[in-house]
Amino acid sequence: MTTVTEAQQASQPVIKKKSTSTFMRVVQYSLIRLLTLFVTIVIGIYLTIMIANMGGYVDEIMRSEIRERVTVQVAMNPANKNLSQEARNNLVMSEIAQEEKRIGLDQPIAVRTFRYLSNALVLDLGRAVNMTSDSGSKTVRLIILERLPSTLLLMGTSNLFLFFFGIFFALSLSRNYGNFWDKLVVALSPTSAVPPWFYGIFLILIFAAIFKVLPFGGMVDAPPPDNRFEYSLSVLKHLILPGSSLVLASFFLSIFNWRTFFLIYSSEDYVDMAKAKGLAARDIERSYILRPTLPTIITNFALLLIGLWTGAIITETVFLWPGLGRTIFRAIGLYDTPVIVGTTIIYAYLLAITVFLLDFVYALVDPRVKVGGSN
Amino acid sequence: MLRNRLFALLALLIVASMVLAACGGGATEAPAVEETEAPAEVETEEAAEEPAEPTPEPTTRRGGWLDEVVISVVSSDAAVTQIQAGAIDIYASGLSSADLPSIEEAGLQYSKQNGLYYELTYNPAGSPAFEGTGKLNPFSSKKVREAMNWLVDREYINQEVYAGGALLKFFPITTQFPDYADLADVVRQYESKYAYNPDLANEAITAEMEAMGATLVDGKWNFNGEPVVVILLIRTDSDGTRVPIGDYVANQLESIGFTTDRQYKTSSEASPLWVGGNPNDGLWHVYTGAWSANIIDRDQGDNFQFFSTPTSVYSFSPLWQNYVVSEEFQTAADDLAFNRYSDLETRRATFEKAIALEFEHSFRTWLIDGKNFAPYREGVQVTYDLAAGVDGAQISAYTLRLADQEGGSVKWGQPDLFVDPWNPIAGSNWAFDASVQRFTQSYGMIYDPHTGLTWPHRIESAEVTVVEGLPVGVTHDWVSLNFASEIAVPEDAWVDWDAANGVFITAGEKFPDGTTAQSKSVVTYPADLFDTVKWHDGSSFSVADIVMGMIMTFDPGTEGSAIYDESQAGALESFKSVFKGYKIVSTEPLVIEYYSDGFALDAEINVTTLWPAYAYGEAPWHTLAIGNLADAAGELAYSADKADANEIEWLSFIGGPSLEILKAKLDQAAAESLVPYAATLGQFITADEAAARYANLASWYDAHGHFWVGTGGYYLDQVFLTEKTATLKHFADHPDLSDRWARFGEPKVAEVEIDGAGQVTIGDEATFDVFVTFGGEAYPADEIKQVKFLLYDATGAVVTVGEATAAGDGQYTVVIPADVTATLEAGANKVEVAVVPLPVAIPSFQSFEFVTAP
Repeated sequence: MTTVTEAQQASQPVIKKKSTSTFMRVVQYSLIRLLTLFVTIVIGIYLTIMIANMGGYVDEIMRSEIRERVTVQVAMNPANKNLSQEARNNLVMSEIAQEEKRIGLDQPIAVRTFRYLSNALVLDLGRAVNMTSDSGSKTVRLIILERLPSTLLLMGTSNLFLFFFGIFFALSLSRNYGNFWDKLVVALSPTSAVPPWFYGIFLILIFAAIFKVLPFGGMVDAPPPDNRFEYSLSVLKHLILPGSSLVLASFFLSIFNWRTFFLIYSSEDYVDMAKAKGLAARDIERSYILRPTLPTIITNFALLLIGLWTGAIITETVFLWPGLGRTIFRAIGLYDTPVIVGTTIIYAYLLAITVFLLDFVYALVDPRVKVGGSN
Repeated sequence: MLRNRLFALLALLIVASMVLAACGGGATEAPAVEETEAPAEVETEEAAEEPAEPTPEPTTRRGGWLDEVVISVVSSDAAVTQIQAGAIDIYASGLSSADLPSIEEAGLQYSKQNGLYYELTYNPAGSPAFEGTGKLNPFSSKKVREAMNWLVDREYINQEVYAGGALLKFFPITTQFPDYADLADVVRQYESKYAYNPDLANEAITAEMEAMGATLVDGKWNFNGEPVVVILLIRTDSDGTRVPIGDYVANQLESIGFTTDRQYKTSSEASPLWVGGNPNDGLWHVYTGAWSANIIDRDQGDNFQFFSTPTSVYSFSPLWQNYVVSEEFQTAADDLAFNRYSDLETRRATFEKAIALEFEHSFRTWLIDGKNFAPYREGVQVTYDLAAGVDGAQISAYTLRLADQEGGSVKWGQPDLFVDPWNPIAGSNWAFDASVQRFTQSYGMIYDPHTGLTWPHRIESAEVTVVEGLPVGVTHDWVSLNFASEIAVPEDAWVDWDAANGVFITAGEKFPDGTTAQSKSVVTYPADLFDTVKWHDGSSFSVADIVMGMIMTFDPGTEGSAIYDESQAGALESFKSVFKGYKIVSTEPLVIEYYSDGFALDAEINVTTLWPAYAYGEAPWHTLAIGNLADAAGELAYSADKADANEIEWLSFIGGPSLEILKAKLDQAAAESLVPYAATLGQFITADEAAARYANLASWYDAHGHFWVGTGGYYLDQVFLTEKTATLKHFADHPDLSDRWARFGEPKVAEVEIDGAGQVTIGDEATFDVFVTFGGEAYPADEIKQVKFLLYDATGAVVTVGEATAAGDGQYTVVIPADVTATLEAGANKVEVAVVPLPVAIPSFQSFEFVTAP
């Protein structure tokens, strides 16, 4: 022990020098990484804006749609039947001009795209063009925030269950390679080719239409219970079918993936060596299999967490679940660029932060990894 | 090994079963196509099956029939299943004809109302080749366009695409609307003339194509050595039925030698081409269009101008600018659009001319008048509007009930809810929001669900005066119609608004030399109006509520107003171009005169009430007062335009960030006992009354958490915006008995039978007996507007049109004179009778075949 201490003391100046260089290396790496990620975000967001606007063609679409809609509205309003031809045409043109001005079509597309970009980068999400939040607000922030809890509830419940249960069960299968359950999972893994909404329709038919034990859709009974506890129970009841459909659609494939992943690590030479040394199975699993797979598991978990943000568009639609997925889908249909950009920029920032932090997390959990190291 | 194979097999079986299940669901066998000679005839029997029953006994209950209506959002795909499962009782939005078999299979009752109506829009540019491409445009020829009427089999489309649930359409006017009924004998002739006849179509199109320089090479039309390609813009969105229609039309065009390019597009993709694009670019030839008619429009004369002339409100569109029409057609269309005729006979003659010229020009081929069906379970009763159905009708909220029961709860499903903020001035204009608002409001007049005429709701009676020579008639006795050589607007009538001072400008001030109007309506309200009508928050209705409505017509759109909104200015300007003034003649009882330069053909429609039912909901003056405070302070805005321009929230009386602001304004108004527009409303509101109203509203807000207050048979109890559900509760203080509208149970569609000799001797007079009934009882003669007959010869051509002679209630006689039968050749002939009743805008047709022999 003394020797070691002496050796440490003797090498102290060297360590200090190393520490300084490590700090600089980490700072330099962080700056370059952050800059790279930021540039990536800028390019990604601008591309999103251009795609959402079809390079400017959406203006033409919206102009035509406004003309069509306003003209029909004016023509169908009985109050306008007595207007002279000139008054009616003037009314149509003034309403069209108002609407075009309201949604910004009186400004060039180039100006608007850069304004969308600059606002998005500073997280000024602005106002929606056509959409309103459930409570009637046109601010994109509220449109997103109102739908976030229900999406997190649905996606979080199902994906976290899938993740943790999948790993646990996969580990078990990898220990018992070739047994009945292992083969069952392998055989059923193609069922994940079917999307969750498809299971959703089946589950609705069985449990809502035939057995009438669970609701068809929505997030809560109509009218919602006054009591908070009963309200929570009602939400849970409504969560069962959409959550189950999301779980069912990925269940076997997820386990199959993890099980295969663990099997590969289980057959490494150092694992065989550990077995030969006579180490306990649990120790082998913990130190020789799970430890080296930690970066992958953490990466998956981190991406899963930010993936919750996107919602499940079709499943939410099938179950009329008031989530973000439906909001994004509607925004795309309405060419509501601010809402599309709003959801995308938040996802982009979350992804960039996650990617950035993961590099550090890898270094923490895997001693072979050095932040900013050339290898 | 065997086990592995078994597992593999199991996996494959599961996947295969799912794929098969996905592919197999929902398919129904298309009904067989039947040839029919009289296309719209099916209505008589179908309407007779409709189930709503009138209330058998009077009641003492007031307000809505139900204790509670729970609104929730349900996908239309799941509507029938959810009713079957008991999750909802009624799905108030109409399902398409394609869903009719599943509704009937499930044993549900259903309403039957107008859906979309479908047509083919042609690109008429080119002479005959497009300027942009030099390629031949067959549809630049009006004869080709006209011949398309013979090429498409409307009955086939109805059976194949709409499961037989729709109506065949030949005209821009709606089948079964009042104009169609009035012109029943005329339209039948054209329906016969333009019935499906592919040989005639081919013959006409071939002649015209050759005249344009095209040649038929190997069965395909060529022009300048290239195939003539017809580009069809086929809409894929909306109800999806335009895809099979477009494919069918393309097939028909291919069958006579055209090459087709089927471009499947959504509204967004197609709109820049057909509405916004230059037709001469040659990017399309045929567009599968669809329109809607969700009120019973009693005057569709303007449709000719709208759809087929360059003076349409669509005149900004390059397509309409390419419509070249004859002067005769333009004049007829304009005359009908602007009611430029002196009497109804002239109008009818103009209509006949316009119909003929519409076919001659044929910028469109009209195909189908779609029908929608709102299903509900056994035990639920509701009166629906023939055009607006259940969710779009005023009457539905007042007639929805459980059979033979007062009270109870109904679960009402619809596709969406709370789409945009609710406020009466410029709030949500979504049908899904309006359907719920209708439960909470009253009206000055209510629309007859079967004729589109109006009946008094909150008013007592009315007197209409129009200038002599205007073609106005009257049907009901609650309104009297007078004619005058001149209608002078009184000097003290209010004709405009001084926003700066908050007072009305009188006619004397604005028109020192006097002014006149084309029409005047004098509305008398019930003597006990202010005692019996209560707002949901307990406040008594007052004159101020009506005067506030007058003010709000002007103030938001008038520059200088504290709540000025640029987006309202255009509509106000249009309104003022027709409006000539209003005058409160007395307040006990309340009598109000209204002067206008506009008029409608029916005196009932000319009645203008000033009931505070705004464009987007009913409201008392005190909720608008706090809304105005918020708008004037720049914290909220009534309209989306103003909210966007100022980057503030769109005012909502039911939720969101608006509520906190409105509550603060309510506290402010209560503290000040605010009388809005005091210079005007101060004559009608005292400070104490104002304080009482604000106190009522504060209590209401505490109890219900919103500011939506009406006078309807139900009040909005609770709203859940994210959950998209709402609860409406019975309003016991509503002045009307629940059964007030029970008489509108079932559309009184006439059932017609014809009897007569099966053989007629040529040159002899022929007589046929016509029996008109409803529910087995003779149809009263005074409820029948006309019974006409049409005589068709063996070729299907109309030989004569005449009027049947009344022989008592429900009995008519058709006499075909000897000189007419003398013109018939030996063979099978047909007499068809068109019965037009007054209580319902649906004519009934019946035909009888007979043989002529020498």
